[in-house]
Amino acid sequence: MSEVKILQNGSGLIWYKFLKYFEIAKVNYFNSATYFVNLISRSAMVVIRIWIFTQLYKVSYSIAGVSEIGGLTVAMVIWNLMMTQSFQTATKPQLSKLIDEEVKSGTLAYSVNRPYSYILFHFSGFVGRSVPNLLINLFIGSLVAFVLVGPIGLSWEALAFGVILFFFGYILDFFVSLIIGLTAFWVEDTSAFTWIYSKGQLVFGGLILPIALFPDYLQKIAELLPFSQMYYSAARLIVHFELSLFLQYFATQLVWILFFGLVAYYLFNKGIKHVSVNGG
Amino acid sequence: MFLSTVVKYISLTWEMTKLSILSAMEYRVSFFVQVFGMFVNDIAFIVMWLIFFQKFPSINGWQFQDTVMLFALTTVNFAIVMIFARGAFELSRTIARGELDYYLSFPKNVLWHVLVSKTEISAIGDLLFGLIIFFFSGNISLEKIGLFVVIGILTALIFLNFIIITQSITFYVGNFEEAAEQMFHALLGFAFYPQTAFYGALKIVMLTIIPAFFITTLPVQLIQKFNLQLFLILIGFWIFTTIIATVIFKRGLRRYESGNLINVKM
Repeated sequence: MSEVKILQNGSGLIWYKFLKYFEIAKVNYFNSATYFVNLISRSAMVVIRIWIFTQLYKVSYSIAGVSEIGGLTVAMVIWNLMMTQSFQTATKPQLSKLIDEEVKSGTLAYSVNRPYSYILFHFSGFVGRSVPNLLINLFIGSLVAFVLVGPIGLSWEALAFGVILFFFGYILDFFVSLIIGLTAFWVEDTSAFTWIYSKGQLVFGGLILPIALFPDYLQKIAELLPFSQMYYSAARLIVHFELSLFLQYFATQLVWILFFGLVAYYLFNKGIKHVSVNGG
Repeated sequence: MFLSTVVKYISLTWEMTKLSILSAMEYRVSFFVQVFGMFVNDIAFIVMWLIFFQKFPSINGWQFQDTVMLFALTTVNFAIVMIFARGAFELSRTIARGELDYYLSFPKNVLWHVLVSKTEISAIGDLLFGLIIFFFSGNISLEKIGLFVVIGILTALIFLNFIIITQSITFYVGNFEEAAEQMFHALLGFAFYPQTAFYGALKIVMLTIIPAFFITTLPVQLIQKFNLQLFLILIGFWIFTTIIATVIFKRGLRRYESGNLINVKM
């Protein structure tokens, strides 16, 4: 079938568009996978962190004289943190920084003229870039967690529902990062927003202290915030599955995705009006 | 002679840093956003540990106030390096791209010149944060304030030596930028946790490859309860790392090959 015929056919058009973004993701995947030493050195950081967490929580649990807090044993805490850390570090380099640079350098003016959606283009790149990091982080992280605290019981449903939460958490992180990057249209330096965002993730995103270990009142608040719905929720569900928890997390994710998606769309359309191309 | 050279370099460092800060202050909004943003950023760490210590009040005798002291010290020594010697973090890239040529043409020490070539404005937020929370880290006496200042500067110098050593490896292996950065993050990473939680092989890592023990554990111990012997060990470690950093950089510089890059510095 010729290209024209594919385009005339409605479903073919959608497939054609999907293929375009798939190719963008693929290019980013290979670009990221090429720098193997970088991948390994990032994973080394995950290893050191898991090692630190293991010692910290083993000592903390034994001093508190408990084997379980908030339904989580030490092993579950470590696997939970390993996954949250792996998911989160996989997204580097930061998307907000890339967009910020595009806005400031003016390359955005060229990108928006190309035959693709700017937002979908970056989403494909975001996913493609993260896959090699994610795979290697999870592989090395699981190995280290297995050696340090042993295995935990995993069920297929926990994995399946966990993957759903992970995917939507990724979309949520993407939108917030996009918004931070787009603020470069109005402010000179977006790094302060990036720091505050990453610290929000650090405190309420379960990157060092799982939210299940928070005091009750704070746990309820943290679970409603977007930070916990990015990567913590998926990791938490995988180590200890509860259907009611999945429904609660999933609903919270959808609300935040809708909110940040609309904000991102609005800011992008408003910001794009500031772009002026002066030949070159 | 030696002393007057040291004094001259210190005053030159001060002048260079002052110029960088003044030029950054030209963009007033950006300047304050960076400083204030970093201050808020640092508060987040304290909030997280406040939550942690509600659940686990004491880790082998280590309490929330010890963590406050740890953060006060770490943010201050980190800030000193970032304000006065931000260029250290660019060393690897500068070597790999052959951009050291620019510094070689000046009469002053090459390493010093690279180090002071940049100032991180946001680190002023770190410095303010560290100085303020120090006063919330338990009973403060004049002796403690004096110790905090001396040990803060000493650990900053050890910190700087570690960065120079890891970044200078680039002279020998080609590209070491990402690895050097990760080693730096690993070192900083240890500074986040209650120091009494570590044992076994991890403790050995902290004493050798990633010498976090000398930048966090030992200094905090010294400020809380001074011990001359331990203080001398800290000074000894500073001298030891200074010698290694100088030798690695000097030998590396002999292997350096120009990038033949023409650059215009404005």
